[in-house]
This record gives sequence, structure tokens and C-alpha cells, in this order.
Amino acid sequence: MVMVINRVMKKCLAIGWVLFSLWSCGGGADEKPGEVLAFVKPEHFPEPTYTFQNNPITAEGFELGKKLFFDPILSRDKSVSCNNCHQQSRAFADTPLHPTSVGVDNRFGIRNAPSIANMAFMKEFFWDGAVTHLDFVPINAIESDVEMDESLENVVKKLNASEAYRTKFKTAFGTEEATAPYLLHALSQFTAMMISADSKYDKYLQGQEELTANESRGLALFEQKCSSCHAGVLFTDQSYRNNGISSDFGDKGRGLITEDEADEGKFKVPSLRNAGITAPYMHNAKFSTLEEVLEHYGNGMVDSPTLDPSFKNGEVVVGIPMTKEEQGDIIEFIHTLTDYTFISDERFRNNE
Amino acid sequence: MKISKILALLALIVTIMSCENDEPQPEEFGTFQLYFDNKVGASELTLSEPGSTNYNYETTNGEKFNLSRFGYYVSKIKLEGPNGELYEDEVSVSASESKGYYQILESVASSHNVMLENVPAGSYSKVTFTIGVAEDGVQEGALGGVLDPAKGAWFWNWNAGYIGMAIEGTAENSAQQYVDWGNGTETKEKTFAVHVGGWKDVTDNENFVNNVRTRTLDFGTTVSVSEELSPNAHVVTDVLKLLDGVNIDFSSTYSVHAPKAGKPFADQLANAFVVHHVHQSSNGHGH
Repeated sequence: MVMVINRVMKKCLAIGWVLFSLWSCGGGADEKPGEVLAFVKPEHFPEPTYTFQNNPITAEGFELGKKLFFDPILSRDKSVSCNNCHQQSRAFADTPLHPTSVGVDNRFGIRNAPSIANMAFMKEFFWDGAVTHLDFVPINAIESDVEMDESLENVVKKLNASEAYRTKFKTAFGTEEATAPYLLHALSQFTAMMISADSKYDKYLQGQEELTANESRGLALFEQKCSSCHAGVLFTDQSYRNNGISSDFGDKGRGLITEDEADEGKFKVPSLRNAGITAPYMHNAKFSTLEEVLEHYGNGMVDSPTLDPSFKNGEVVVGIPMTKEEQGDIIEFIHTLTDYTFISDERFRNNE
Repeated sequence: MKISKILALLALIVTIMSCENDEPQPEEFGTFQLYFDNKVGASELTLSEPGSTNYNYETTNGEKFNLSRFGYYVSKIKLEGPNGELYEDEVSVSASESKGYYQILESVASSHNVMLENVPAGSYSKVTFTIGVAEDGVQEGALGGVLDPAKGAWFWNWNAGYIGMAIEGTAENSAQQYVDWGNGTETKEKTFAVHVGGWKDVTDNENFVNNVRTRTLDFGTTVSVSEELSPNAHVVTDVLKLLDGVNIDFSSTYSVHAPKAGKPFADQLANAFVVHHVHQSSNGHGH
């Protein structure tokens, strides 16, 4: 027994030595101060898409990202922070008071700010999939003239004018000054940790909680009628579809990115996690309740050349046939996707 | 116990070796310089002020123009020789650097020279490089160096990725109106801007174009690299070939800011880059 322990210890020492020597030769840029914070993938979730190898999460990086997330310094006149449109009580979606985003000088955006939970698992971002990497997501909000209306370059300048920020960048990344890539890495460290996987439904999957009879019926109906698009544990197949909101594509959606007429009016299938607390709904905030949403799928779809074929039978728009009772059951199921642990998680709360 | 001792000893040896020298040196190495010389037909490229109506160039179709900005990204540089010689420029990216990515800017003379180091001794007859930033670069996330968007990198927010090549100037026939953007920036009358970007390959959608191109250029001869011999390849990038190649009509083509519109230009990149000549001597060019 003693021998075994001794052997194990020596092995550890040897490995420790190797690690130490690697570290001592590495020097400079590769050194990441601080302890690595664990990104724990929920067992029932897919592998994350985020490039953690380029940006390992540390306590200091996460804290810096959090400070930046809540700091309006990112906006031109220091009036708008990420948190303005992404509030924890709404699973980091916007409040119903802002159906579309409100930016500097009270300018209105054209789309509803969605929940940013589980971004570490998504392939593309924004309603039109304009961005393909989490690091680049904040740039669009910062540089949009209806959101923060600021240049990334000037944000970096403002951060470097602050001794507190310079110190935090140094502690988090070992850099002498704040730079855009590290700013974006810090924000990604904070947002990648925003995992919502502890709803009643998750507990049901893990055998820890029972669904009510209505919720169970809702789940069965959901799987039958909704899960071809709102697929898997992320409740989205991450595709772009036209779900019959309008036939007038003032906002071309996915068509803006693909430059393809066949994609006009298509938007990303949103995750339905926390949908019960992220009203209003759809890219243009057309509906303010889940009842309206279900009624839309049942009876309200507008036909157009790019309407998703799954809503049509030949030339006839059929939507998703449902009785009122079925709609109600599905809504009850959707409410089981609300993650109260996530929306009260102190790690994501502004504590300054 | 024995195994752990051996492990520890091995670790010690590895440590000493790795600290002494990063690379074993069984052979000889030298340097190779790529010189990117931007031209307009036979003329050297001289930049004008944006909006200047002094048109010092003309396309074959008679479109008079000048240039106020020209540049492109080059990456994944590879040298090959007739006897299997191979050098691949190291690509190493992080939030603090983008080693292996070069932004060749007409306005920055030092950017025209790309010095390749640790090239194995031998003879080389061709060079390969990528114009633009391909998917593997974009999908690394936020990077430093020439890919840092706050330090002059050409980053597209609206359709995230990098502009691979930018051609801007003023043209007599450009239909561009004056625009005051209200934030201290303006677009001058008769200017044009061609930004070639787009890196995604999407099956079944020919509108969704990948404008990143890889070119292999033959030297037409071989040059030798050794500790004493540092050759130089003079690459000419001809803006006129790009504009003539698309039969540019500035009255309709003056604002190119999306992958689909940039594709005709990307398709001309194969013609626009040529190796004009190579120098064997170490410092023969004096650029």
C-alpha cells in the first residue's frame, strides 16, 4: 500500500516537473494568470462550439467580462450597457417594455433582443446568423448606430484611460494594455458561462421531478408538432425559417447574409429555453404572449414565397393544426423550460 | 519506482533540451523575402486623396480613376522546390498576435516586404499563398496583430469575417453621391469602394460565395536558400488586371460591400498576382 502511494506520488512529481518545465520555458504571451474556471457542460447537452482552447476561462477573465457586460462605457455616451437589453430576470433577453432594442439617444432597433443563454453551444448568432463566432457578437452591438453607436477602437481607448481597467486586463490576461481581442475574450468568458440547463424540464429528464398531467400532454404535443424545428435540448435546430410572420420583408433576415431571395423573411429558429419569461416573441416582437404565438402557428400564418414548406400542404397554408386545449398544454410545457436557477445565479448578477 | 525515476530523468532531459533550443537543427536554414509590388498596369501605384478628381489611371475601356486605398491579406505562405523542398510559414494566432497573416497595405511601405525565416536550405521554384482570411482564421475568434479590428484590421461586422482585399478611389464615372454620415465621417462624391470579403462555403447556395483565393506562382526558375543566400521574389499585384478583368463600369459598380458583388473581383485574383522576377542575391533589391 505504501509502495503504491509512493509510486503514485513520484509519478505526480514527475508530471508536475514536466508541467513546471513547460511553464518555465513558455514565457510571455502564453502565460495565463489565475485559475481556470470550469466550464461544465451539462451531461445532456451537446459539445460546446466555443473555442475554449484560445480563451480558457479564468476567474479574473470572467470577472472582467462581467464588469464590461454591466458597464455603459462600451457605448458612445456611456448610456447603454449590454445589460440594458439583456437582463438576468429575463434570462438575459430584453424586457417586454423594449419590444425592439433601445440604444443611445433612445434610438430604436428593428429586432427583439433574444436571450443569450447557452451561446457557448450555438453555431451562429443573431436572428440572421450574421456572426459565426461568439467573440465577435459584442462588436455588432457596440458599433451599431442604433445600439451603442461606438467604435471598438474608441472603447479600447476609453478602457485604457481607466487605471482600474488596465489593472484588470493585466490581472486577467497579463497584458499591459486593454486591446479589442482581450476585451472580446473577457466578454466571451462571461457569456459562455451563461448556461441554462436547470429548468423543471431538465430535472424531469434527470428523473428528479415529475411533470404535471398537462405538462406531460404538452410535451407529447410539442414533440409531435414543434420539435422538428425547436429540436434537441437546445430547443432549436439552428436553422433559418420563415414562420409566416409577414409577407412584406422589410427586414430580409437571413437573406441579408446569404444574399439569396429564397432566404428573405427567414430568421433563426430561437431556442425556447426560458421562453415563458422572454416575451415579446419573434424577431420583430410581433406577439406579446405565448397564447398569441400558438394562435399564430394554429391559424395566423401569412403566406409568402419563402414560407417554410412544413407549414403548407401543397399550396394551402395549414400552419400547425391544434385545438385551443392543445395550445394550452403546449404552453404549460414551455413554462417548464424556465430556469429559475439561472435567472437567480449570483455569478451573473451585477454586484458593483 | 524505477519507472517514475526514469520519467523524472526524462522530464529533466526534455526540460534542458527544450530550454536550450526550441528546434533541433539537423540542417541549414536561411531567409526568403517576398516583395509585394502593387501596380496599375505598367505604372507604379501612387495613392491619391479620397475624392481627388485628378485621375492618373485609366482602364482599357477608358474609365478614368485614381486610388486612395489598396491592400489585401496574405496568409499560409508556402515555398516549394523541385526536389521536394517545402517551407510552410508558421501560422500561430491568439488574442495577442496573428503570426502568418500579413496585411499588405499600399500606404505602409514596410508591409510590402514579407520576410520568411527558418526556410530550410535548398532550391525553390514556386510560392503559394492565400489572399483573404479563410474559415479557419475567422473561426478562431478574436485575434490580435493584423486581425485586431480595433487596430486597423478590415473586419466586417454585419457578416462577420475579414475583407480580403480593398480597392478604393475616385472615378470620373462613379455615380457615388456625397454622404455625410453624421458622425464625423463622410463619403465623397464620385468615390468608389470595392471590398472583397466572404469566406463561407454553403452547399446548394451559389449566392453564398467564398471569395478567399489561393494562388500558386511559378518563379520560372529556381533560387537557392542557405545561410548565406537569401533570395527575394518580386510579386506584382496589378489593380488594372482586376478592374479590366471585371470590365468595370464605375457608373454602376462603385459600392461593393458584400460577398456576392465581390465575387467577380475575387475571380480575377488569379490573374492579378504574378511573380515578376526573383533575385538570388541576399540584398539585391534595395526595396
